[in-house]
Amino acid sequence: MNLTPEQMAIGRRNFLKAIAGVPAVAALGTAAAIRGPARGGAVRVGFVGVGGQGRALLGRLDPVFADVRAMADINPVSLQRADDVLKKNKRPAAKHYVEWRDMLQHEDLEGVIVAVPLWAHADVVCGALDAGKHVLCEKMMAWDTAGYTRMIETARKNTRILEIGYQRNYNPVYRSAYEGVMRQGLLGDVHYVRLAWHRNGNWRRTGDPPSKDFDASKWGYPTWDHLWNWRLYWKYSQGLFAELGSHQVNAVNWFLGATPQHVQATGGIHRYNDGREVPDHVYAIFDYPGGVTGSFTSVESNAFDERYEAFYGTKGTLIIRNENDAMLFDEGAGAKATGVEVAPKGAGALLDASETKPANAGGTARPAATETPAKPNQPSPSTIEIARFCSAVRVGTPLLCGPENATHSAAWCIAANEALKSGAKVTIDPGFKTT
Amino acid sequence: MPDVVSRRNFLSLDFGRRYPAGDHWIRVHRMAMACRFEVALSDTGAAGIAAAREALDEADRIERLLTVFRDDSDVADLNRRASQEPVPVAAELFGLLARSRELHEQTRGAFDIASTPLSRSWGFMRREGRVPTTGELAEARACSGMGRVRLDPARGSLRFDRAGVELNFGAIGKGYALDRMAELLRSAGVSNALLSAGRSSIVAVGSDGHGWPVDLRPSLVRRRVGRAWMSDAALGVSGAGEQYFEVDGVRYGHVIDPRTGMPASGVLSASVLTRSGADADALSTAFLIGGSALASAYCAAHKGTQAILVLDDATERVEVFGHCPGVTLELLS
Repeated sequence: MNLTPEQMAIGRRNFLKAIAGVPAVAALGTAAAIRGPARGGAVRVGFVGVGGQGRALLGRLDPVFADVRAMADINPVSLQRADDVLKKNKRPAAKHYVEWRDMLQHEDLEGVIVAVPLWAHADVVCGALDAGKHVLCEKMMAWDTAGYTRMIETARKNTRILEIGYQRNYNPVYRSAYEGVMRQGLLGDVHYVRLAWHRNGNWRRTGDPPSKDFDASKWGYPTWDHLWNWRLYWKYSQGLFAELGSHQVNAVNWFLGATPQHVQATGGIHRYNDGREVPDHVYAIFDYPGGVTGSFTSVESNAFDERYEAFYGTKGTLIIRNENDAMLFDEGAGAKATGVEVAPKGAGALLDASETKPANAGGTARPAATETPAKPNQPSPSTIEIARFCSAVRVGTPLLCGPENATHSAAWCIAANEALKSGAKVTIDPGFKTT
Repeated sequence: MPDVVSRRNFLSLDFGRRYPAGDHWIRVHRMAMACRFEVALSDTGAAGIAAAREALDEADRIERLLTVFRDDSDVADLNRRASQEPVPVAAELFGLLARSRELHEQTRGAFDIASTPLSRSWGFMRREGRVPTTGELAEARACSGMGRVRLDPARGSLRFDRAGVELNFGAIGKGYALDRMAELLRSAGVSNALLSAGRSSIVAVGSDGHGWPVDLRPSLVRRRVGRAWMSDAALGVSGAGEQYFEVDGVRYGHVIDPRTGMPASGVLSASVLTRSGADADALSTAFLIGGSALASAYCAAHKGTQAILVLDDATERVEVFGHCPGVTLELLS
């Protein structure tokens, strides 16, 4: 990111994760309708997959909204660690299952949260939907077009909720940037969007199998490494375009109100030729209707750019860095950068007033004050995501990233990998009817 | 955490007591006048980001008008020419000059936009503090003070009595800019915002419910003094806390008493709450210089102004004078 230190300073304040509120309760129902306990209470949920991502969701979930009854995972160590997460958060224990089908059969669940390797999304999600459960599925939606098409059809057939967990949709920074910058037209006409997610390090995870005799082959993984490092193998994964790129493209689709049509891509295994199949460096160029072009790059050899989404318009530039600060730059010589931050309202003051600092000391960002009470427990986008899913189940709160939206970032990813492998320009076809 | 989850919890995504207040502020900010200008909006006010940006443009415009750090500002032009001839002044700047003169008179000379030569003799213009010689100080005093500035309202012009006189709006410019920004925001339909410049100048538009919470935390005082809940009100804070130097154990702050030419002493921090940001800015400087006597007299004579002084004594005594409508002040004992 080519920003001067001064420019960086403007947008790089301590970002505080915040919650996204639905603005007015009154707009959603009368006082009488909202008074009193909700019939059914917290939504009874089960987890399928409590690996790293599943446990992250488990830890961030708010028990006011979701009551975790059971967890299924083929890895017993993951289940033990999930127990630790529940214990640490002072929550009741949840029942263990190895097979998710057993869990669906034996537990009285309303919702299922799915965080299994990508290739298994369609089977698990459709199984849960067919069992009458509502489903919150981790991104990316599915490994292939057939998979997500089946998911959409199964949700419709069973009239169940299916939400895809792209955290940016629940992140107050993105919601503010969308409402306050994109929808206000502050950028003018946007013709270029640049997405970067750059890291300097190996994506491969190291870890031992849960036991010497652990056999992953009965679940379709010939070796422990195929399960543990499923992201590195094409059979289970769609690589960096899926794990990182789809997050950003999904947000761009939302911001632009459009979906990409064609994609070209290149890349390869340029640094870690360790038996993996998916590239560690990928680059894609793709286009939207109306002369809007996007680029996405993800490298594992340099982290200077970190990660950002940048929207370049005729009147200004919007950059959202590391999912936590938004910066707005006007076009024109001498134009100054405008930062946009989102901070939670807590018990503390919005500002500390004191005599002006010397010019070079900068801003008013609230310093860590010794006597101020601890920061309010700020819900992460994942917390909001699960709360919102539960609200959709209980009272019909609209989804922020329903399956129709999520198919487009999945279709982009699948086409980008096809373009990378073939060298051709590939037409992006979601492959289903949206009505 | 509620014992029973309510329908309201679901409808409003109300996270209950676990996350007090349950929503967030949007802070739109930019560097201007060598500090951070910020417009904080309530979470339902994302649509106000566009207006906030225009308000920040206004801060840039006022900086271009008032700055003495660039040769092409109106004020730089005045400083160059007004000792030789009457210089016509645009209405906006004339208005600010007139208000500065009134404040000068009402504060018995403690607020003075024509004291730059004094600050320079103490090295504060270059942030290299030093004690001036008697001769240097006498020379600086000879070309300082509003008494050497002639305003002609009929012609809308200004003239200095002698060469060497200089104007500097550093003690009022930020508050003035915030006033103009608040005006712009209100006319753009933004009814709730907290505007700030650095930490020292703050203007509240609307109340955001119970008032915008602002802590008084002067840097020379070893504790938080209190919290002001501000609704349609302004706050200015002055102190020598962040810009000073010491010689032989004596602390010399950067605020010079224009009446004596010596650094102000006796008050660690002066905060003023009133309707206008420009006034709050100017008065906080004046009370840092004039102390309790001036603050008390001024607040008695001018309703709607509240002053909070932290005195430079062993107990860091806090004194409060007057009252400002729209402000609830919670002082910590």
